[in-house]
Amino acid sequence: MTALNQSRASDSVERAIARIEATDKRINAFTERTFERARRQAQAIDARRARGESVGALAGVPFAVKNLFDIEGVVTLAGSIVNRNLPAATADAVLVQRLLAADAVLLGALNMDEYAYGFTTENTHYGPSRNPNDPRCIAGGSSGGSAAAVAAGQVPLSLGSDTNGSIRVPSSLCGVWGLKPTFGRLSRRGTFPFVNSLDHLGPIADSVALLAASYDAMQGPDPLDGGCHAQYAQPVCAELDLGTHGLRIGILGGYFKDLATEPARQAALQVANSLSASQEVQWPDAGLARTAAFVITASEGGSLHVENLRTRADEFEPLSVDRFIAGALQPLHWYLRAQRFRRIYRDKVNELFKHWDLLIAPATPVSAPLIGTEWIDINGQRQPCRPAMGILTQPISFAGCPVVAAPCWPDGTSGMPIGVQLIAAPWREDLVLRAARVLEQQGIAHLSSKPMALS
Amino acid sequence: MNTPVTPPPMLDYVIHTAAALALPLSDERARRVAETLARTAGMVKPLESVAIGPADELAEMFRPAPFPTVLADRQGGQ
Repeated sequence: MTALNQSRASDSVERAIARIEATDKRINAFTERTFERARRQAQAIDARRARGESVGALAGVPFAVKNLFDIEGVVTLAGSIVNRNLPAATADAVLVQRLLAADAVLLGALNMDEYAYGFTTENTHYGPSRNPNDPRCIAGGSSGGSAAAVAAGQVPLSLGSDTNGSIRVPSSLCGVWGLKPTFGRLSRRGTFPFVNSLDHLGPIADSVALLAASYDAMQGPDPLDGGCHAQYAQPVCAELDLGTHGLRIGILGGYFKDLATEPARQAALQVANSLSASQEVQWPDAGLARTAAFVITASEGGSLHVENLRTRADEFEPLSVDRFIAGALQPLHWYLRAQRFRRIYRDKVNELFKHWDLLIAPATPVSAPLIGTEWIDINGQRQPCRPAMGILTQPISFAGCPVVAAPCWPDGTSGMPIGVQLIAAPWREDLVLRAARVLEQQGIAHLSSKPMALS
Repeated sequence: MNTPVTPPPMLDYVIHTAAALALPLSDERARRVAETLARTAGMVKPLESVAIGPADELAEMFRPAPFPTVLADRQGGQ
């Protein structure tokens, strides 16, 4: 396969480093910079190329990872200060290893909501990551640094995690492409967990081609990860230009319309029109799914941190520590109820996808609010801002379906983006990426066309 | 003489379950956690009403659908 990046790896890396150094004081995406390692790696790639040796499909593509991914020699912070006491990782996370094997070049680690329990990356310890489209606004979360780094042109590729929306929300708010694969598609080995029942990992990128290429590079079974269900890779790159003709495509109504403001609905409608989708479809039990996901998140997330909550609660993020404690104390009955509901819910969603190939919904109810916003208005209803950012993503990830967040630019947002979810049945990442490619080629979904003055 | 005030049920629950988990909580934090749990209790009410039969077991390590066999690969769509 031809490498996506035909430039010298060293040149690509130096450009990225210069951009990071010029802009990160304003954006605050990076928490760790691995520039010397990156330079060594880039030189090695260039030397192999010069000798006529083959290089990987991602040769010289700079990337960075949310700081819950292990990086050899670096402490895995997961957005916390409590984790500073842990020893440095002895190996890169599996997905990092796979991208490096494809000759992508790692530039560092990225800011996030502490322990991934948030949708805004307003991190008290490390500062908020700021939206490159308007630095007064949130970047979204919990993979806010990952989305901001791509939107700011610091790196074309980053990795994030998505438990209830944490790739899709920041991708939506920052105006970049994000892929949440099927639950269990990609290995989670070598990452600090949040909710084992719900955690997904995936790429954020500045183009559909790079999103697909990085996804292909990361695919493959991992017998050492009990949560990785993939038995073999299903590469998508060769099928990216198959288009969407003949696919049964619908737009989600009901919950996904009622809880989206007019600009978000407009973005989804624009995508639907571009893909010739006119029929409105009802997603089953979306509200119940959101509740069940919330309960499972709180219980598993809280339980994971009980040891540290006993002795170091004051070192936790003030915005989330009470929720962690509440989760640890939740009645078991709620958790069991939620897990039993999940089995029924899964069957209803899989039944829906017998009749549809692709479904469309906004990724966030609004465009990015200002940092520090406590309340927002959604169609006349006052909602707490931070949890509301995930209101449209949570039911979809609870079913484990693959989703691309496509960056759209509707009216009524003062020029800010709102992402649109392209949703398919489990294991059909090929369909969401084909649809994403169509939207990109039509100019409906794209990164910002305005240069960002971020220094 | 002051009559002791019985804390509301949710706050009482938080205080006692936190103690059972050896999780120290200040009065202020216990109150905030109780408020959070009370909101969750409100959210959970519809979930309590869903018809879930005795045979509906917990979802196992969540698998959204069986991983396709090579022969069944990519059926559906184009």
